[in-house]
Amino acid sequence: MRRFPWDILLTLLAGIGLGLAYAWTISPWRVLDSDPVALRADFKDQFRSAIAASFQATGNLPRSQARLSLLGDSDTDAALNSQAQRMIARGEFTQADQLAALAMALENENVPSAVTTNTSEGAVAVGPESSETVPAPPEELPFELTQTPEILEPPTDETPIVETPPVVVNPTPRPTWTPVPTFGAPFSLIAQDTVCDTTIPEGLLQVLVFNANRRQVTGAKIIVSWENGEDQFFTGLKPEIGNGYADFVMSPSVTYTLRVAAGSDIAEGLIAPTCQTPSGEPFLGGIKLTFQQP
Amino acid sequence: MRSSRWLFILIALVAGIGLGLAYGWFIEPVEFFDLTPDTLRADYKADYVLMAAEAYRAEQDPGLAARRLAILGSRSPSAIAAEGLEFARENGFADSDIVLIQELVTAMQAWSGIGP
Repeated sequence: MRRFPWDILLTLLAGIGLGLAYAWTISPWRVLDSDPVALRADFKDQFRSAIAASFQATGNLPRSQARLSLLGDSDTDAALNSQAQRMIARGEFTQADQLAALAMALENENVPSAVTTNTSEGAVAVGPESSETVPAPPEELPFELTQTPEILEPPTDETPIVETPPVVVNPTPRPTWTPVPTFGAPFSLIAQDTVCDTTIPEGLLQVLVFNANRRQVTGAKIIVSWENGEDQFFTGLKPEIGNGYADFVMSPSVTYTLRVAAGSDIAEGLIAPTCQTPSGEPFLGGIKLTFQQP
Repeated sequence: MRSSRWLFILIALVAGIGLGLAYGWFIEPVEFFDLTPDTLRADYKADYVLMAAEAYRAEQDPGLAARRLAILGSRSPSAIAAEGLEFARENGFADSDIVLIQELVTAMQAWSGIGP
């Protein structure tokens, strides 16, 4: 009876172990073709900023969505808003505005107001251009959002999103009427309340900004003006209170006017009210304004 | 021990190492994270260059465009943009996109690194 070749089997296993050790620790496969999802967080931020800047330039929301999906954020809106807040805190207002605009456009995906522009030059499409000439649609046709050829297939279980290359070569671009999204409808002032609360700073002008979906809007620029001056501030700097929250301290006996820079009703005649404590002592109260897109 | 026995052991060792390498490199390679953008696949890089080009068309700020491109590696922004342009041409990007990237390449070649 032949003896089982334990020595050979053990040698084989030892060889496998050596091979794995080399492949996993000593010389792992060189990273050359990584996906954006594997980027370090700060590079993802830069990627998002570039997407937002590109979106502001082109208004191509489907393409921006496809690009954002490459980053693998579980909640794209939250990622954009969070980054906008960080950029506001660092004083990078332009990029924060772009991120907030993109977040807002994603939330209001059915862009309510759009300006049509003939973009035979400016339309952006990835992929080869068709050589045939397709006439532009006549103006009397109803306006239709057209999705330019995009980078990704919809993610499925079988096709992880990170495996999908961002460029395909089979779309058929054609002249389109490309919508240029705006920030949406102007914000309406839906509430103006006097706040008599001794626990908050005196003369505090609080602003809350919501979009049409009742979600707070980060990075919305607020412009407040008075007789001899003007100031700007942004929502989202106090996320512990709310992403769409911002405040400003009013001086006594000064009349202020306030609006959301992206377009809103104008709140006029804002004067810090005089309130009374339970013991009857006067103190300067505050005002709370709530804006929302219709 | 017979010499043929040693031969089998040697073969087993080599086969084991080969199996281990194949598994560790191809079947279940190490998953990396926190990577830098210069490791991105070429099509992702080209798409990033296109993003920078789209933004540049609106912003006309070569310094900002150069900073955006700089995350793709230590080469000059014009070289990075040119590589994106080459990829775009070879892979059938739309003409409008190629024009955008071409504009970016031209701007980066002209950009001195000084000023806005």
